[in-house]
Amino acid sequence: MRHWAQRTHLAGLVALTVTACARGEHVPARGDVAVTDDAGRRVTLAAPARRIVSLLPSFTELLFAIGAGDRLVGRTAWCDYPPEAVAVPSVGDGMPPSVEAVAARRPDLVVLYRSGPNVTAADQLERLGIRTVLLDLNLLEQLGPAARRLGRLTGHEQTGDSLAAVMDSLAAEPPIPSTRSLVFIVWDNPPIVIGGGSYLDHLAALAGARNVFHDVGSPSAQVAIETIAARDPDVIAVLSDRAVAPRYATRPEWRAVRAVRNGRFLFLPGQLFGRPGPRIMEAVRELRQRLQGGP
Amino acid sequence: MNYVLLAGAALTTLVVSLLVGPANVPLGDVLASPIVWQLRLPRAVLAFLVGGALGVSGVGLQALVRNPLADPFLLGLSGGAGLGAVVAIALHLPGPWALPLAAFVGAVGAMALVYRLGLMGGAELDPRILLLGGVAVGAFAAAVTTALVSLAEATELRNAFLWLWGGFSGASWTTVLVFLVYAPLPLVVLAALARPLDLLVLGEEPAQYLGADVRRLKRLVYLSASLLTAAAVAVAGVIGFVGLIVPHVCRLLWGRLHRTLFPTAFLTGGILLAAADTLARTVVAPRELPVGIVTALVGVPLFGFLLRRWTVS
Repeated sequence: MRHWAQRTHLAGLVALTVTACARGEHVPARGDVAVTDDAGRRVTLAAPARRIVSLLPSFTELLFAIGAGDRLVGRTAWCDYPPEAVAVPSVGDGMPPSVEAVAARRPDLVVLYRSGPNVTAADQLERLGIRTVLLDLNLLEQLGPAARRLGRLTGHEQTGDSLAAVMDSLAAEPPIPSTRSLVFIVWDNPPIVIGGGSYLDHLAALAGARNVFHDVGSPSAQVAIETIAARDPDVIAVLSDRAVAPRYATRPEWRAVRAVRNGRFLFLPGQLFGRPGPRIMEAVRELRQRLQGGP
Repeated sequence: MNYVLLAGAALTTLVVSLLVGPANVPLGDVLASPIVWQLRLPRAVLAFLVGGALGVSGVGLQALVRNPLADPFLLGLSGGAGLGAVVAIALHLPGPWALPLAAFVGAVGAMALVYRLGLMGGAELDPRILLLGGVAVGAFAAAVTTALVSLAEATELRNAFLWLWGGFSGASWTTVLVFLVYAPLPLVVLAALARPLDLLVLGEEPAQYLGADVRRLKRLVYLSASLLTAAAVAVAGVIGFVGLIVPHVCRLLWGRLHRTLFPTAFLTGGILLAAADTLARTVVAPRELPVGIVTALVGVPLFGFLLRRWTVS
């Protein structure tokens, strides 16, 4: 049942991409394009954006997924997927964005993640006459709304809406019964773990794994090693591109945790797991496979 | 009598910190539980030792610079330690001990630099030169640190600050041992200088007339107190406030003689930090608070109460 649901999601995505490519998604000729962003601002464009700078890897992936990748004229140094994105000029690491570097790309729309420094940067860009949109993207539930609005702003309304529908239904799916438990450890001293109400917590639930810190309400939290030992996760998930045991694995105080003692580390590449994005189904599938196969 | 009371309080604090924690260890299993032996006991012992060392270091430095605001970290040590830790992460130094070792080296480097500044032109560790030199070296190290953090790409660098803000998450018998390698010598040296330090409080000239070798005394106090603090940084990061407040509390409660101040400051600092760490581990469980926040939240009202009593009487 579960697998079937996933396959339909995938099939849906493939079908969308194919139709989008076939029809070329012609831009509606008349009328304003308008959306409300997550900062509560009304973003109005006279015509769908043709020159876009994306200041978050997730936005870059979303834009390519809805068929608007060819509109990108700027990206961050972190935007490394899809491979075509790398050919787009980089405007720096985007933390905080260099307003000059962004403006130099002469964009007609800049897509920013809503955060304090980015709100300031957006104001500065607006003063230069460049339209900006500030979107939240921390949670699985925010992927759909982001895709929908990006579709509207780029004139790829149909593909945007379809991708959003897929993401929304994924976000609404009840978690399947978990077979394994895991903990996401993002830093060792002091130990910082991923809590409930986060993208990774949701992703783990969809893959059939129970985050032992699901009850911690915030996205990340400092905890004691003792607490990790007491909650006794089967596996320790580490966001890392290299399959090298983290340096705390050999520290004596961490030996109190069973999964550390047994070397049960699961290395999740940051490009796929470290950001919410349209490839979430792929991430869920890979996590499930690796949990079943054992770390 | 005071010591019996303090020793009793210290013992109670340590026992309580063994009994409580986010994991549920039944009372009957306490002596057999690896959680108690491998996590709670070394953590409580380390917190106690570090608190004691910071208290003693604070007493020594406040006597040396004759300034009530002196703090073990005032003389550039925290800036140096931060720079060391960030360099270790930016250079991807391997191994579980790279970060603490680099922080220790950074702290000792800052200490050496301030010491050198303090001796320039025959200043002979003039308190004003020491304080200004410490603040200047600290500011410079902080600037280099911030430059590294903003230029380097590693997102890990942000986490270096988490470590630096201090805590006992990394406590184990090994860290206790590391600390015990460094701490006893400066502790013994400071304790042996209790009498001449009483004279130094009167001023450098009077102390000289009363027979103290002021030159040697100041150098020994500076080096010992700094080494203690650097050792504390290596195992627990920068834990502020304890070294500032504990000496004042002890002076208010037990008088100004260093023969009394050193042992009481050690015990009071130890109790304060061990108790604060126990609270940090338990009050918001399953989450944990940074211990420095707890020491300030508990210590400042207490200190305010003491100050009031002191100014009224």
